[in-house]
Amino acid sequence: MINAGGKKYRKKRLNFSPYLYIGPHLILFTIFFLIPTLYGIYISFTNWDLIGNPEFVGFSNYTEILFNKDSTFYEQLRVGLGNTFKFVLFTVPACIIVPLLLAAGLNTKPRGFKFFQVLFYMPTLFSVSAVMIIFSMLFSVSFGPINHYLNVETNWLATQPYAWITLVVVTVWWTIGANLIIYLAALNGVSKDIYEAASIDGANSIQKFFRITLPSIRAQILYTLVITTIAQFNVYGQPLMLTKGGPASSTSVLLMYIQENAFGSGNSIAGIGSAMAVILGLCIMVVSAIQFIFLRQRD
Amino acid sequence: MEKKTVSKFVSIIFISIMALIWVIPLLYTFFSSFKSEADIQSNAFTLLPINWVIDNYQDVLFKNTSAPVAKWFMNSLTISVSHTVLVLVIVSLAGYGYSRMKFKGRNAIFAFLMASMMFPAVVNLIPLYKIIDTLGWVNNFLAAIVPGSAAVFNIFLVRQFMQGIPIDFDESARVDGASDFQIFTKLILPLIKPVLTVVALFTFTGSWNDFLWPTIAFNDIEKMPITPGLQLLQGMYALDIGHALTGALIAILPTFILYLFTQKYFMESLSLSSGVKG
Repeated sequence: MINAGGKKYRKKRLNFSPYLYIGPHLILFTIFFLIPTLYGIYISFTNWDLIGNPEFVGFSNYTEILFNKDSTFYEQLRVGLGNTFKFVLFTVPACIIVPLLLAAGLNTKPRGFKFFQVLFYMPTLFSVSAVMIIFSMLFSVSFGPINHYLNVETNWLATQPYAWITLVVVTVWWTIGANLIIYLAALNGVSKDIYEAASIDGANSIQKFFRITLPSIRAQILYTLVITTIAQFNVYGQPLMLTKGGPASSTSVLLMYIQENAFGSGNSIAGIGSAMAVILGLCIMVVSAIQFIFLRQRD
Repeated sequence: MEKKTVSKFVSIIFISIMALIWVIPLLYTFFSSFKSEADIQSNAFTLLPINWVIDNYQDVLFKNTSAPVAKWFMNSLTISVSHTVLVLVIVSLAGYGYSRMKFKGRNAIFAFLMASMMFPAVVNLIPLYKIIDTLGWVNNFLAAIVPGSAAVFNIFLVRQFMQGIPIDFDESARVDGASDFQIFTKLILPLIKPVLTVVALFTFTGSWNDFLWPTIAFNDIEKMPITPGLQLLQGMYALDIGHALTGALIAILPTFILYLFTQKYFMESLSLSSGVKG
């Protein structure tokens, strides 16, 4: 308990008491973020099975996964990182463009605006495992309503390119909510007079979209682009539960291999897993930085 | 005028088609959960159940000992509520410290915290497990309650909000003889309720839906939360539409209901976080 004491005591307390406020978080931050992060980098330079003591091996984990073409881990990194990049490349544009179009349409405040807003945002609040169960049933070959109503026999989850298409569709359905709300809020701030004036000058809706709508929410597009990209790099649950990483590892993403190596059924190869995690982390940082620099420059 | 109606018409059509795509999976899940086994066999492709039964719910919640959904649900509830309370205490204290107190290294520490947000979390995953293991928290609720409270973003939000409260308030309270702690609890906490509500909603939702970490930290069926539990359930009911979808529906119910009552907060905080009104 902090109580008001004499003058001398008070002065001393003033120097110490702030740390009582920031201390609890700083302790948690140190134990559960700082130490594991630094340790994570360290063990990527070691041989470790999660149980014994890590044995320092220098760069050999990295040379193994980056350059040793005969190693399974080299193959895992190539496939996993490649598929993660593919996933980012396929989903990020869709997760920006779809909510942009929806926001442009909803910006005219049609009847039922509130309902639409609630509906499109809602899936964001569901867990990945629940959403994947729903879609694995919807896209099932024999008893899925999608095949039935499209009158096809497509094996969505186990043949390409359908597995990728399904993953993208599901991810868009699940994750565009936040971006949509951000765009809508931004468009709300754009004065309607500008649109009116453009109409008088004879601009059509497509011109208005490209000349007024897009430029006025550039900052939000940049923000959502960076946030969405980081989120999609961490893809794990969708391919794990929907396509099981298949067909033939074509949708196995890097986080699946990291998890498998460190915590899978066999012996733990935490050192290799950690090196993979560091590489994934570096990719995320580099890509975010590029986006940032590239888009800031054009301002 | 002619042009205007055409474009409005096009956008209504577009939004309606999209809305259908968004609503069908939800309706499909909802109605399938009330179908009987025979119903699903004979009319797999009609949306509405012929007769509404709650067998799926009884089976999934209580009858399957290898996928005890009711237990998972309660585990998740305990974890998410505890985690949310812990986060609220931690971030309001820290927010107060960083926004209203002067001390050596304040800005440096805060800048360091902000910079840490740029660092990809994936790197600490494996050692975090080791820490949990050392603490004896594997298969313990604490594994899902405590580590997440190290996050920085909420402190940033709370600090932002507190900076909008004039420092004169504190000064005049101090003149009246209030201690720091009294100022914090009696004056500041009531004023920051809006931002704490937002933090609570997003923290609860995030905790409820967390997937990767709980699959690592829990392998005991009795102890796990519902989100990793559903992965087991999916394997068990791979060909059983009714039961699998009922499990999914039970898992999304709490956040769904929460959102219906508090959507205003979700919407406002999203627009704020992207700097629309900033």
